[in-house]
Amino acid sequence: MLTRGEHRLFGRPDVSFLVLDAPLGSGSGDRSEAVITAENLRHTYDRRHFALDGVSFTVRRGEVFGLLGRNGAGKSTLIKAMTTLIQPTSGTLRVLGMDTARDGQRIRSRIGVVQQEESFDFTTVEKNFSVYGMLWGVPKAERDHRRELLIEKFGLAEIRKRRAFDISGGQKRRVQVAREFMHEMDVLFLDEPTVGLDVIMRRTLLDSIREEVRRGLTVVFTTHNLEEADYLCDRAAVIDEGKILQLDSIENLKRLYGGKKTIDLTVANGDAPRFYSALTERLGVGPTVTVQGSSAVILTDDPKEALSRIAELSQSLGVQLDWLNVRKNTLEDVFLRSVRHGGDPHGPP
Amino acid sequence: MIPTALPNILRLVYRNLLVNTDPGSLIILIGLPGMYLVFFGYGFQSVAAGGGGGSSYLTYLTPGIMSFQVVMAGTVGGSMLWADRRWGMLSQLLTGPFTRLQYLLGIMLTSMLFGLGGSVVMLGVAYALLGSIPTQPVALAIIFATITVGSILFGSLMLFIAALVKSNTAYNSIQILLIFVVNFASTVFYPLSSGLPVVLKVLFYVNPLTYVSDAVRGAYTSTLTSTDVYQVLLLLAEMAVILFLAVRAYLRSDVSYE
Repeated sequence: MLTRGEHRLFGRPDVSFLVLDAPLGSGSGDRSEAVITAENLRHTYDRRHFALDGVSFTVRRGEVFGLLGRNGAGKSTLIKAMTTLIQPTSGTLRVLGMDTARDGQRIRSRIGVVQQEESFDFTTVEKNFSVYGMLWGVPKAERDHRRELLIEKFGLAEIRKRRAFDISGGQKRRVQVAREFMHEMDVLFLDEPTVGLDVIMRRTLLDSIREEVRRGLTVVFTTHNLEEADYLCDRAAVIDEGKILQLDSIENLKRLYGGKKTIDLTVANGDAPRFYSALTERLGVGPTVTVQGSSAVILTDDPKEALSRIAELSQSLGVQLDWLNVRKNTLEDVFLRSVRHGGDPHGPP
Repeated sequence: MIPTALPNILRLVYRNLLVNTDPGSLIILIGLPGMYLVFFGYGFQSVAAGGGGGSSYLTYLTPGIMSFQVVMAGTVGGSMLWADRRWGMLSQLLTGPFTRLQYLLGIMLTSMLFGLGGSVVMLGVAYALLGSIPTQPVALAIIFATITVGSILFGSLMLFIAALVKSNTAYNSIQILLIFVVNFASTVFYPLSSGLPVVLKVLFYVNPLTYVSDAVRGAYTSTLTSTDVYQVLLLLAEMAVILFLAVRAYLRSDVSYE
């Protein structure tokens, strides 16, 4: 049953959350239990190239599992396989303990899917909610109740009487995501759910997903937005060319670089090649320096030492710095390095 | 399997009726055959005087137009599949608790309801125009059973085409052509006469709408013959074949989202 919660968005008293006061589905079970298990999955559309090439992973109950990858990396194929829309060419895939090849309908009756593409019935927003709830067999009183709360929660009251195809892109996305909460589920698959949402609605959505996860919902989430993955996911897999390059908790992925930090710098004037050549020599074998024109990115586990070398050299060679920034490694660094170096975290930045 | 499948199919039918039909479409679907009945019925009355077994042309045309509803019902089925594809609901529904077959049966059942509903409306229009319609239970049972089989047949045919073609434009073009050929190469508007060219005769004979039209007309005018009975049996066989082909094509088609 949906009830009004006490949560506040960014301290704004005018934006409140409506949360489920009971776990969805049977989501309150053992959190170490494997909800999705993929073993050596391979899938080809044309018998020549593999969209999935030996993918293995496990998603545990109650976690948010991120799938990160560029376009065509294999994320959508993986989502299609997990939601039983396609059958993998080989390998085994179990969702909620059931084989996707044999128990498709039983699996689908316990999952929710928000597709990347629009999907609406050609009718009003509120009727889309009602019809969707009806299709899932939600009793009328319950679906009316859920519809009203979801419309309020996702800020859809003003557009509830408008046809779903006449509203803006961001509004459509909100309707599509909100509609999925009309029914109960154990696993929610979200394929790029925040595309087109403004900052506030994006955060509202991510927080409401977090709220459901706390109550036991398992979420598989694909995104291009690495900040979102950082904010929402417990673990993430970096996929490229049908292979999983990295798979770990977000924190561990960031620690792959052994606590290294990244220094970005740009030379304003002077002999940049000579400066960077000398800097590389002075820094020794530990840090890695990647130079591009007058800019460079240095990956080091001793930023103080690197900064003092930069200061010394810039003074001795008469080079002025235009930009100098020291930052922690982000998920974006992990992602970029993984994709560029086939999963080798020790490759250059 | 049936206890879980039936509620799913009925929900899909209800959903199709709620969201895949709008007043404008309904008026066209039912109004167009109604207009045929009024305009052709009165317009060709003088030309066709004496035709159709000695009764008025309007009496001859009424069961034909009732039969025409099965083609309209078939187009409803094909259009629903295309609408669901176009608006993303096909793949959305198939990630839900439904099987592909249940989805297909939901569309066919909806088509059948359109066929039956449309033919009832045509009966009403005929009553308004002629002042009488058949009321014998056996005649009505034969009429509606034939309409049911015809609706499933044409629903399957349109779904088969919808599953095969790759664009909505191609589907619409084929649909328009098919409606024209199927309607006018049948006994809906005129009887099969010996003066027809051979090609047209063959078209009349292989056209399932001819069988629907003959059986409905036979029951409507109480002139059923053994030929009509054989035609209904042939109609059933054709329905089974086309239904099989439609299911096969649809189950193999790619409905996943990109």
